[in-house]
Amino acid sequence: MRETYGKLLPGMRTADLAGKLIVIEGTDGAGRTTQMNLLKPWLEEQGHAVLDTGMTRSVLAGEGIRRAKEGNNLGRVTQSLFYATDFIDRLENEITPALRAGFVVLTDRYVYSLMARAIVRGMDPHWIRSIYSLALKPDAVFYLRLSIDELIPRVVFSRGFDYWESGMDLFPGHDVYESFRNYQAALLTEFDCLGEEFGFQTIDATQSAESVFAQLKAGISQILEAHPEPQAHAAARAMNRTAASVPLAPSATENQRRRFERELLGAIRAGFTGDLLPVGAVPLHAGANGNGHGNGKGNGHSRHSG
Amino acid sequence: MRPLVLLRQPPALQKEAMDIQSGMRIGPFEVFGPIQPAVSTPRRYGQHHFPGRLIVVEGIDGSGKSTQLSLLHKWLQSKHYGVVFSEWNSSPLVKDTTKLGKKKKMLTPATFSLIHATDFADRTERSILPLLKAGALVLCDRYIYTAFARDVARGMDRGWVRDLYAFAVRPTIPFYFRVPLETAISRLNDARDGFKFYEAGLDLGLSDDAEESFRLFQGRILSEYEAMIPEFGLTVIDATLPIEVQQAQVRGIVSTHLETARELRLQP
Repeated sequence: MRETYGKLLPGMRTADLAGKLIVIEGTDGAGRTTQMNLLKPWLEEQGHAVLDTGMTRSVLAGEGIRRAKEGNNLGRVTQSLFYATDFIDRLENEITPALRAGFVVLTDRYVYSLMARAIVRGMDPHWIRSIYSLALKPDAVFYLRLSIDELIPRVVFSRGFDYWESGMDLFPGHDVYESFRNYQAALLTEFDCLGEEFGFQTIDATQSAESVFAQLKAGISQILEAHPEPQAHAAARAMNRTAASVPLAPSATENQRRRFERELLGAIRAGFTGDLLPVGAVPLHAGANGNGHGNGKGNGHSRHSG
Repeated sequence: MRPLVLLRQPPALQKEAMDIQSGMRIGPFEVFGPIQPAVSTPRRYGQHHFPGRLIVVEGIDGSGKSTQLSLLHKWLQSKHYGVVFSEWNSSPLVKDTTKLGKKKKMLTPATFSLIHATDFADRTERSILPLLKAGALVLCDRYIYTAFARDVARGMDRGWVRDLYAFAVRPTIPFYFRVPLETAISRLNDARDGFKFYEAGLDLGLSDDAEESFRLFQGRILSEYEAMIPEFGLTVIDATLPIEVQQAQVRGIVSTHLETARELRLQP
C-alpha cells in the first residue's frame, strides 16, 4: 500500500498503485539528465514499461512557468506555488495513472528539489512541506551529490550562468559568480538536510557517468526484485483485467512492446486509466501505430486490426 | 563579503517563531543578515503593520459584493484617498494558465486550488504588499476566504488549504455579504444566461443540470462561509437589505479605520 506524506488528494486511491516510483535528485550539473537517458533504455530492455517525467513538463502549468520565468519578475511565493501546480498536475495525470498501470516511473527531481528551492528562497519549511504532503512517497530517492567546487565548473563551463540557476532573483545586483556560488551552496546544504530527513541514497556524482550508472542500476534492481514479474505484464493486466492472459512481453517483439508502451502512455497522458480501456484494446498488431492516441478520444484506443 | 547564513537550521536549534508581524515572512530573504530562526509551526496571515488598509469583500456569486465594493471605491476616491482595486484571479503572470485549465477542463480540485493560490501569491507579492507599504487603500473583490470555501467544497482538506494561504496578510476588514442561496440564484438568473462550468461545480459531477449543480455546490460554499464567520471574525452584512442601506453600513465601518490613513492630495 503506497503512502503519501500526510494528506490524500480528493478521490485518490492508493491501494492499487502497483508500479515503482524512483526519484533521481541532485542539483544542477550533477548529471541527472545523463543518468535518466541511460536508465530508461536499460529498464525497457529488462521488460519494464517506463514513464519518465520531470519539472515543468505538465500540460497545465509547464508553459506558464516558462513564460513567467522569461520576465524575471516572478516572485518567490508565486514561483513556489506555480511549481507546486505543475507537480500536482503531473502527479494526478501522469505519475499516479502510470503507477496504477504497473509502470516504473522515473522522475528527474521530485518534491525535494522544489522544497529546497523554496526554502533557500526564504519560504517557511513547514509551509512548503504542508503543500507537498499530497505527494506519494517514492520507493527510492537517489541523490547525485556534488560539492560546490565540483559543481561550478560543470554548470558554468558547459552552459554559462543562468539567471535562475544563479539565484539572481535572490541576489539582485550581485556579481553573478558570487550569486551562483551562494545560491548553489545554500541548495546543497538544504539537500543534505532533506536527505537525512527523507532517507536519500546518496551517490557520489564526481565519479564517471558509468560508475554512477552502475550504482543506480544496482540500487534500482534491488527495488524491482521485490516484483520480478515484468511490469509490462502487470500493465497489460491493469488495462485488460478480463483478458489477463494477453501474451505480451515474452512473445511480443521489442517493437511491438515499445509501441504498446507508447500507446499506453498516450492513453495515460490523455487522462485514461486502465479501467476505462475496452477489453481487447491492447494494440499488439504491427499495423497499428501510435498516432491519434493523445487526442482524448476514447475510440482511438479500441482499434483492432483483426 | 559577509558569510552566507542559511534560513534553515538543524532541527534541534529551531526555537522561536519567525516574526511575521510586518508581513516579512515572504519578504526579502535575509541571506546576508542575522540568523533568522525557522518557524516551528506554520504561521498564518500575519497582521500587517503597514500604513495602508486592506478591505476585502466575500460572499457567494449573486450576493452583490462587487456592487458594494465598487460603490465603496467611488466614495473613497471622492474623499481623495489612494485606492487600488484588485480582483480575484487577475494576475498577468498566471491567468493564462488558469484560462487554459478552465477552457480545457483539465483542473482537478487540487490544481484548481493551487493555480488560484499561485495567482493570489503573485498579486500579493507584486501588488497588494507593496501598495500597503505605500499607504494605499487596497480593495479586494474576493480574498483567501473564497479559496477556503470553494476548495473545501471541492473536497480539499480544510487544514491543507488554510496552510496553503499562510503567506497572506490579514485584511483590515473582511466583509462577508450574507445572502440566502435562493436569493442569489434568482439574481443570477435575472442577470445572465447560464452558469459557468467551474462556478457551478460541474467538475464535481454533483448533477448534470447546471442550475441544480450550482445550487448544490454553492450550498456547500455557503456553509463553509458560515463556519468561517467566527473562525476569522468576518464582518457580516445582510445582503438582502437595500443596496443603499448596505452601503451606508459598509462606509460606516470603513470610516472607523480611516482616521490615520494617508490621503492623496489630488487637488492643488
